[in-house]
Amino acid sequence: MILLMSLCFVSMTLFCLAMEKHRKQILSSEFINFPLPQIMVVSFKPLAWVMLFITLTISVEQYGWSIGPAVFFGALSGCLLPLILLLTYRANLIILVSVLLAIILFVIEL
Amino acid sequence: MKGSFRQSMKWLHTWVGLVVGWILVFMFITGTAGYFDDEITRWMEPERPLTATHIDKSKLLDISQHYLETHVKNAKEWRVILPNSRDANLKVMWQEQPEEGKRFGKFSTKVLDTDTDTGLAIDNLRETAGGRTLYRMHYRLHYMPSIVAYWIVGFCTMLMLIAVITGVIFHKKIFSDFFTFRAKKGLIGWLDIHNVLSVTAIPFHFMITYSGLIFFLTTYMILSVNIGITETQKDKYFNEVFPRTVEVEKSDDYQPLASLSDMYAKSHKYWQEDTLAYVKVEYPLDKNARVKFTRWNTDLTYNPDDELFFSGETGKLLDIAAKQVTMSGQIHRGFISLHEGLFASPMVRWLYLIIGLMGTGMIASGLILWTTKRKPKQMKNTNGPDFGYRLVEQLNIGTIVGFPIAVAMYFWANRLLPVEMENRAEWEIHCLFISWALLLIYPAFRSGLVAWFEQLKIAAFVFCFIPVLNFITTDKHLGISLPLRDWNYAGFDLVMLVIGVAFAFTAYKVKKHIPVAQKSHAKLTKNDIENKVTDETISTLAATKETS
Repeated sequence: MILLMSLCFVSMTLFCLAMEKHRKQILSSEFINFPLPQIMVVSFKPLAWVMLFITLTISVEQYGWSIGPAVFFGALSGCLLPLILLLTYRANLIILVSVLLAIILFVIEL
Repeated sequence: MKGSFRQSMKWLHTWVGLVVGWILVFMFITGTAGYFDDEITRWMEPERPLTATHIDKSKLLDISQHYLETHVKNAKEWRVILPNSRDANLKVMWQEQPEEGKRFGKFSTKVLDTDTDTGLAIDNLRETAGGRTLYRMHYRLHYMPSIVAYWIVGFCTMLMLIAVITGVIFHKKIFSDFFTFRAKKGLIGWLDIHNVLSVTAIPFHFMITYSGLIFFLTTYMILSVNIGITETQKDKYFNEVFPRTVEVEKSDDYQPLASLSDMYAKSHKYWQEDTLAYVKVEYPLDKNARVKFTRWNTDLTYNPDDELFFSGETGKLLDIAAKQVTMSGQIHRGFISLHEGLFASPMVRWLYLIIGLMGTGMIASGLILWTTKRKPKQMKNTNGPDFGYRLVEQLNIGTIVGFPIAVAMYFWANRLLPVEMENRAEWEIHCLFISWALLLIYPAFRSGLVAWFEQLKIAAFVFCFIPVLNFITTDKHLGISLPLRDWNYAGFDLVMLVIGVAFAFTAYKVKKHIPVAQKSHAKLTKNDIENKVTDETISTLAATKETS
């Protein structure tokens, strides 16, 4: 469950990065203030879709074909609210949170 | 209805949502609480022992069997509900032999004390309506015949479905504004809150509304199962949609029941250990007794492997034909179990709670949006806002904050009403509805923001005080339940505290917006209203332009 929500969070962050107005919000911190290469910008969206698909597969793997998709949509809705709140109030933290989640997931899975 | 297709959809969305909005808030709050009905009932029966230690299921089965064999001899059915993540107590239920001409006998439930080997029932449980009644109000309301309630609920659900669909249709930028939430005062802010809560949880909103309608399929589509259909056809239909396992015949020959724990040991061959959820014994102490083991759902629809049957006489595994579920029956079951979420593990259950609250927030913000949009124009009226506007505002305050307070009063009543009282359970419910009625009337005598602030303050107090009340009236307060790690019981107190703090925070935020003049004397003069509204009007008008 934590795994699913984190993966959803990361892929939704990628969707945000693919949109110009949100990219500006997220990348406004002092660490990342250089323009991203075009190839990166273009690849955010397909990458996000791939990740969402992987998340769905994991959900099905964990919960089976009937419960899996339902839990996946739940996880998606559940992670969107914190993401949107972060985007409004602490947008510069999003990258940090995403990276941290990825590291935590990596450690758990090991 | 006027203008373009999109305009008329918007009109429909607004009015459909407004007409049933308050009942929907009621349904969403009680329904969301319903995902935790067992946990709520457990808190409302504080006489039950706190449980922390994990006892092996075969021992629990022995205890239950011993209790039922000694105390419940002539029953149609026994059930043993094993401790689980939702309810850590061991419970036994039984159904007495039905009276002549009736299908079901009287049901009774007892909580067993697992500290003794023979199993003693906890007999001094207080009479309470519990979480189950709170959940039942979600679809059956109260104080009216079931059929009337079902139709009211169905009507509201249908309008909600229309609101969901029209909302999607007229939302201009569903994808480009997917992540947009501008924390601004007035219209833009409320519009964004409404959008965010609706769009992010749209799969849930659609699923919950649609499956809610499917629940009472034959009630709402009454003609389809009544006109031009013979009784046999009707039976065939019900057997297809709700198939049953082959039934057992009673033999009237006495036969002691084989050991349940032995059967449990046999079940390990097919199931992982510890997955058993409950046991049902049909015609116990009869030669033909049949035992059914059910584990936690592994499927939304129907998985025949989730059930194991044993002969009550020999304790041998029986090979019972699986229920014949048709495709449409499968879909029906799938939607129902998505709605009820009985398959949900604790984490998924919490997700249901959070998304259910998002649904409540969606409707609440929609209702507030209605008043926010009309506020600038209404405040310009020479006689103050007109009756319709004031009524909506009053109902908003009385429901969005008032109903949660009423639910808290239901919990208060559980702790404060005398334990010996007659009709105690019914009075708990009366307390809920009396408080709600008072809170619906109260905002009529205060100006809008002041009423919001005051009711939020009350809400913060009543929720934060619940753990304290529990401390005063029972011996199982947080100081005891937390160190014992009885999370089900302690969790209730903690969640109440969190809700209370959330209300307090909202009250604090609302207070900032009340002009000083209003704080000293709550009755508003026309001048006050105008002063207050001027700057808000400007921003709201600008927002209206931008959004339309």
